[in-house]
Amino acid sequence: MVLFEAILSGVLVGGMYGLIALGLNLQYGIARMMNLAYGETLMGGAFTAFWFLTLWRIDPLASLLFSVPVAFCGNWLIYRYLLTPLVRRAANRDVLEADTILVTFGLLFVFQGVALVQWGGEYRGYTYLAVPVHVLGATVALNRVLAFVAAVALALALYWLLRATRLGGALRAIAIDPVAAQLVAIDVPRLSALAFAAGGAIMAVAGTLVSMFLSFNASIGIVYTLKALIVVIMGGVGRMLGCLAAGLILGVAEALGAYLVDPGLTLAINFALFLLVLLVRPQGLFSRG
Amino acid sequence: MQRRTVLKGGVSLLAAAGAPMVARAQAPKSIRIGYAVSLSGPYAPGAQSTTWSQYKLWAKDVNDAGGIFLKKHDRKVPIELIDYDDRSQIEEAIRLVERLILNDKVDLVLPPWGTATNLATAPVFNKHEYPAIHYTASAMRVRQLGPRWPYSFWALVQPDNGTEPLAAMCAQLKKEGKIKGRIAIMHVADQLGVEMATAMVDACKKAAVEVVYNKSYPLGVSDLQPQIREVMALEPDAFFCFSYPTDTFMVTEQAQVVGFSPPIFYTGVGTPFPAYVAKFGAKKNGVLLYGAVDTTAPGQKEYIERHKAMFNRGVEIGSIGTYGTLQILQKAIEQVGEIDRKKIRDAIASGTFETIADVYTFKDQVHQTAWAVGQWQGDEVVGIYPADKRGAKPLMFPKPKW
Repeated sequence: MVLFEAILSGVLVGGMYGLIALGLNLQYGIARMMNLAYGETLMGGAFTAFWFLTLWRIDPLASLLFSVPVAFCGNWLIYRYLLTPLVRRAANRDVLEADTILVTFGLLFVFQGVALVQWGGEYRGYTYLAVPVHVLGATVALNRVLAFVAAVALALALYWLLRATRLGGALRAIAIDPVAAQLVAIDVPRLSALAFAAGGAIMAVAGTLVSMFLSFNASIGIVYTLKALIVVIMGGVGRMLGCLAAGLILGVAEALGAYLVDPGLTLAINFALFLLVLLVRPQGLFSRG
Repeated sequence: MQRRTVLKGGVSLLAAAGAPMVARAQAPKSIRIGYAVSLSGPYAPGAQSTTWSQYKLWAKDVNDAGGIFLKKHDRKVPIELIDYDDRSQIEEAIRLVERLILNDKVDLVLPPWGTATNLATAPVFNKHEYPAIHYTASAMRVRQLGPRWPYSFWALVQPDNGTEPLAAMCAQLKKEGKIKGRIAIMHVADQLGVEMATAMVDACKKAAVEVVYNKSYPLGVSDLQPQIREVMALEPDAFFCFSYPTDTFMVTEQAQVVGFSPPIFYTGVGTPFPAYVAKFGAKKNGVLLYGAVDTTAPGQKEYIERHKAMFNRGVEIGSIGTYGTLQILQKAIEQVGEIDRKKIRDAIASGTFETIADVYTFKDQVHQTAWAVGQWQGDEVVGIYPADKRGAKPLMFPKPKW
């Protein structure tokens, strides 16, 4: 029974890992932007939920109506005015990647600095939906279940969008070869901006959901950027279901390792798995390339 | 214009005539105090609220009162702060402390934030003979460092005397038949967590109480529920988690979700934070925690109001304690009456200091009777152990169910 609960806990944590990685997968996998300031959007979503609840008693889920459009527009503006010039001048993909890493690294400090000045550095947290629910005899917290459900729903939706729609086909074409995509009349700058902005919007959702059960502060963003990066690389860049699966594998491995070996090892297991994937399948577990 | 120059000359001549006035003229314009604290990077959250804001508030309070009174010059001299951000990097902190002393030639340097940073910069303070009262540092090593680092003072409770009262409390409750004496320990795999857990296990052995569980979890863990379940299955009646803020919040919330509510529930760093209050409300009642302050200490209420006015946020015991160490420094300077670092050091080493947090005395440079254990009782963190301290309140037992 304890084992089953441990696995279930791991599944929920894994869903959360998948959730925070989905947006980066859109930004990096489709729009080809390695955004190191990615986690700052999560921080923004978390703070929005927190302030809406503390200041005005507005439900964290309702705060999504504000934070998601803001994150979408904000990320669109970043792409349009900060990253597009880099795309234009870059000689090739490697140069572009190096440039975006530098720019978004700087952006990370700007956002973090503003948040520190505005909201101070202390930890924040609130209690929302921290009620036990019983799943097949095991007890889990409703807020974690919610994050898991959102992760699965978003991953499936993105998978369907990319696989079964015309827009998705165009996005996949950009992911494979932005130059060739232009030749078949795909509006690459517009759709790349869309993918980048959508990635930010998803991260705002993740931030809101994660803030319900994990405490956070102004400098928490980078932690989630790194986690998301591991999941994206493991699952395969641009693979939405792969991303969810990689998250689940990490979550369950952590929980099983903690239960069967020692709880102190969870991070070690995490990184050992990542190393193993890098050695054996550097293109990612679910990538065909 | 000319008349004014003559007038000025006359005034300075007049000033030169009287001896006390000469001293006044020689008095420094300000006492220059420097520090390097983490304002960015992973240490920033803790450093800002516990350390940096207290330095700012203290300087404002001192300067609002006209400055620190220096007997030698017979006047009050204001403080000038020189501040640097060590970006949460220990090498940077060491460089900056050295820079403050050698380049900026400040009169005094205040310590940085965090156990590791304090231990790493202490040799610099001692090499240049700058007295420092380290507050945000707790490690077994500081007890051995006394003679080697005569200019460093350690004001916080250390792992051994921070856990001994906990073991004694469990032994006592067991003797009274109130608990069976089954202890479960969880701790973060970081220096403080490991040292606290090790000290706790030792203390439990001495007090003859049984430790049924003792395991670590890594810093930055995202789920503690499986571990809490494992602990719960062992049915302990006292639970100690030597934790850091994020895991403190997590373990408290997840214990509530799975309904783990032993009569003794202890969590580490973060438990007294305003965020803990905001998150758990009345459920915090009865939770035990690391360290405390004397809530009856004179001046504390006024301090809390000034803090609120300056930063628009609540205080926690760490910020009160840090402010207390600044009062020690101020009192030591006033006792000495001049900026003579050797004399200030000796004044700190031998004095007894009434502050807004506690009455501080240092023996072997360590505040031996520091507050070890506090407890949320109603809306206040009260000091519980050592029980013979002024302001100590009786333990609330059992902790109310969640």
